[in-house]
Amino acid sequence: MRKKILPYLLLSPMILIMGVLVFYPIIATFSYSLKKWKLTAPNDIHMVGLRNYAAILKSDSFWYSFQNTLFILAVVVLLTTVLGFLTSIFLNIDVKWSGILLAVAMLPWALPPYVNGILWKFVFSSGYGFMNKAVIGLGLADKPIEWLSSRWSLLFIVSLVVTWRSIPFTALVCLAGRQSIPGGLYEAARIDGGSKRTIFQMITLPLMLPFLAIGITSTSVTAINVFDEIIALSGYSDLGKNILVESYMTTFSFLDFGKGSAVTYLVMLFAGILGIFYLRSLNKEVEY
Amino acid sequence: MKFGKKIGYFIALVIFLILTLGPFLWTFVLSITPEYAMMEKTTRLLPEVITYDNYRELLTSGTQKGSILITGIRNALKAVGATLILGIPIAMMSAYALSRMEFKGRLLIKNLLLITMVIPVMATIIPLFRLFVARQWLDDVFWLSTVYVSSYLPMITWLMSNYFATIPKELEEAAQIDGCGRLSSFLRIILPTSYPIILSAALIMFLNTWSQFQIPLILASSLETKPVAIVVSEFMTKDSVQYGLTAAAGIIAVLPPAAAALIFRRFLVSGMMGGAVKG
Amino acid sequence: MKKRLISTLLILSMTAVMAAGCSKEPASDSNGDKTEDTSSGSNTEGNEGIEGGSITFMAPDWAIPTDDQLKAFTDETGIEVTVNEVGWDDIRDKMVTAAAGGQAVADVVEVDWSWVGEFYAADWLEPLEVSDEVKADMPTLETFTKDGNVLAIPYANDYRLSYYNTKQYEDAGIKDEPQTWDEVYANCKTLKEKGVCDYPFALPLNAEEKTSTYLMWLAYTMNGVVFNDDGTLNKDSVLAALKYEEQLIKDELVDPADKTSSGMDAYKRILSGSANFLTGPTSFVSKSTNEEDCSVIGQITPILVPGKDAKATVTMALPEALGVTKFSENKDAAKKFIEWYTSAEMQEALNETNTAIPTLNSVLKKLIDNGKIQNAGAMMEQAELIASPFPGGVPSYYAEMSNAMYNAINKMALGEMTADEAYAEMEAKVTELAAE
Repeated sequence: MRKKILPYLLLSPMILIMGVLVFYPIIATFSYSLKKWKLTAPNDIHMVGLRNYAAILKSDSFWYSFQNTLFILAVVVLLTTVLGFLTSIFLNIDVKWSGILLAVAMLPWALPPYVNGILWKFVFSSGYGFMNKAVIGLGLADKPIEWLSSRWSLLFIVSLVVTWRSIPFTALVCLAGRQSIPGGLYEAARIDGGSKRTIFQMITLPLMLPFLAIGITSTSVTAINVFDEIIALSGYSDLGKNILVESYMTTFSFLDFGKGSAVTYLVMLFAGILGIFYLRSLNKEVEY
Repeated sequence: MKFGKKIGYFIALVIFLILTLGPFLWTFVLSITPEYAMMEKTTRLLPEVITYDNYRELLTSGTQKGSILITGIRNALKAVGATLILGIPIAMMSAYALSRMEFKGRLLIKNLLLITMVIPVMATIIPLFRLFVARQWLDDVFWLSTVYVSSYLPMITWLMSNYFATIPKELEEAAQIDGCGRLSSFLRIILPTSYPIILSAALIMFLNTWSQFQIPLILASSLETKPVAIVVSEFMTKDSVQYGLTAAAGIIAVLPPAAAALIFRRFLVSGMMGGAVKG
Repeated sequence: MKKRLISTLLILSMTAVMAAGCSKEPASDSNGDKTEDTSSGSNTEGNEGIEGGSITFMAPDWAIPTDDQLKAFTDETGIEVTVNEVGWDDIRDKMVTAAAGGQAVADVVEVDWSWVGEFYAADWLEPLEVSDEVKADMPTLETFTKDGNVLAIPYANDYRLSYYNTKQYEDAGIKDEPQTWDEVYANCKTLKEKGVCDYPFALPLNAEEKTSTYLMWLAYTMNGVVFNDDGTLNKDSVLAALKYEEQLIKDELVDPADKTSSGMDAYKRILSGSANFLTGPTSFVSKSTNEEDCSVIGQITPILVPGKDAKATVTMALPEALGVTKFSENKDAAKKFIEWYTSAEMQEALNETNTAIPTLNSVLKKLIDNGKIQNAGAMMEQAELIASPFPGGVPSYYAEMSNAMYNAINKMALGEMTADEAYAEMEAKVTELAAE
């Protein structure tokens, strides 16, 4: 009897926290999204069913933002995964100062996203920011380049900036994954005469897959939820807005809580679909 | 061959350092550049006149900006502490149950937990605010930390349960046969072998907490509770864009997590290497 | 050894959670008391004062009085003031979240001129009483008045004033200060041709609030009108202003960087001599004499804003004010605080400590006359021309309207649209909003 209760007992604090602070709020937000609720019309709040969703899905502005979100997602996930994995290999090399390198590698992560955005704005600013000083100084251009003034170059720079901040986590997860592979496996493989390449293909890569998966999941969530960097780099401009900026503007700037909640829900739905896809790969538990 | 490898490593090292530290160095340069010189049209990288006024303003005790910054750092550290004390044990209990016990609804609970990873802050913040108002939890580091914990739990629990799963079941079974209870076998077998992942989890939580912005902005932005991330952003508002000061504050604000990463690294690396032979 | 140490630590931390769980009770209690204090009106300890009680005050850093000033207020009235300093951009978000939860974010809050319309529609502000004497002396009060209700009292003045670099004018052989927008344009061309200044006109074009307001006051000072009485855009006026901006961009009289850097950076170009002409915030009067901000001290002169055929007869103000929230439970104390804060003596004191520009014209005049405000130029004259371009007060959809405007202007600046197309885009949105 005691044995049966124990797991639930162990899980109860987690369930309590998640229930109160995550599940309850998202249900509440869903109920907002079904209402006409504009703060500037406090006496006119009523249920409208799915009309908010219909209006959003019909607007060009939403689809424009959605494209931007997809672009950022694709670039960030690709770059972060590749570079994060490479960084983990680099950090895994045992040298005297590898501990310090690890600490250095973690630095971008500690930057608040908004500060991160400001920092890169200094680099890419259209006047004489670092990049322009560099390209002009090297004679690659004769006047400042406007890095942030066309849609795709802006989005690409946003993606780079987000990638820079996301690499540490992916690298750390890969590193942890790599090092949690029992050393015995490698020894056994070596004794069996496996070459470096086959060891990598047969042992390292498959055993690291679930870790890569969590890195990718986390990166995707970060990429979908990019907000501060966009604001820091391009303000509240239409040019680079993603769905989250759209949701923020609708809610906090235009004070339309009903519609804003609906946009937020669409972001979540989109992330959720990706999430279910990842869940499958995450649930393949590793057996050694 | 060996020489080639060294060269390769050296090149990788240089690229790594430039890409990682470059933006910080540039920010540092800006923080010692006088405000008017920032707009100058020149390709010179270093300013003609170097000024440490920004740091002086932030670090001299008694100045208003300086004391706010220091308070912000202290607040962020407090939140980190509370988050770790609360989050690590909860995550460990959950991870242990999910990875090493069989019970009804295990997969469902695990999936429900994992899927919350995708929920953006925006989707929960307004109801959360209402809840915090109703319960008088606003501007309270403890309750703020519970929100942080709720957003880290899926990731941390997953990492830990993954790690716990790699510990051979036979070890624990043997201990149980020897008459150890679940608790003592957990303390004797699981805990000692899994401190690397616990320390990584702690570092992950530290760094994530350090960079929180939107949640504390809404739930804890009083002077006594707002973290340094918000303080730094406040140096840059509407009509007073103080780039130099913002840059200097950004540099100062990144020092504590940098120090933590440096101190942690010994445990982190030595711990991590415990299980693995280099391959 | 190390392993054991760590597991001991972990166990300790677990017990600490338990302890924290228990010791939490008194802690949260005391916190509850604190909130109680701020919201329970007259509080026992404060009774010995005239009124007592305590209030919370939320404002950006430049509005926070010194400790001495606050202490003087408390000594005088017995009202304790808890200051909550929040970044300007974040105040509105906090107000919105709190109001959506039916809560007062503070008793006294910062109210920017652009927020008045929506705060009024959302019914977040308590109407205030102001004497006729003050009304006559405070032209910016009009901006904060809706349907006869004064919703907030301005404490920091900010109206558009023009600035130009006199030395560059001399270098280019231009004698007189510009009287009209056409002259400004012609002079900028001369400055560029003679190589005195590459991008003489400082114009915010980034997708942000300042870009919208620039267009508004450009149209307002050029043609005396921005909006029709029904809230829609006045086509003749706004389109002319937009075309004026387009011409400046085409002739490269505006720095290409202005298209994406912040509006404030565009303004600041005048402080390094990289721009010659600016119509911008009043704060540049003091910035242009401050060594830390300015590298061309002594060259910048504040002048009256140009108009169509002569100097403009109006200027737009963008003041900041303080209001009392509807949800506040200490309204009387809060009103008393605002009255004190915006009084003539405090305005004088705040100019000294916070470099706030007085909203009472009498105080402004006094400060200019006794030399407290230097290099004032046309500052005083201009202050007397303050008027509001919004016929029915700032509209409740201001944020959405401004968003449509700055995005259209930004697209025009980036060459994606012509002035006509940009106008059509913003007009469609404004008309839709005004009809609602």
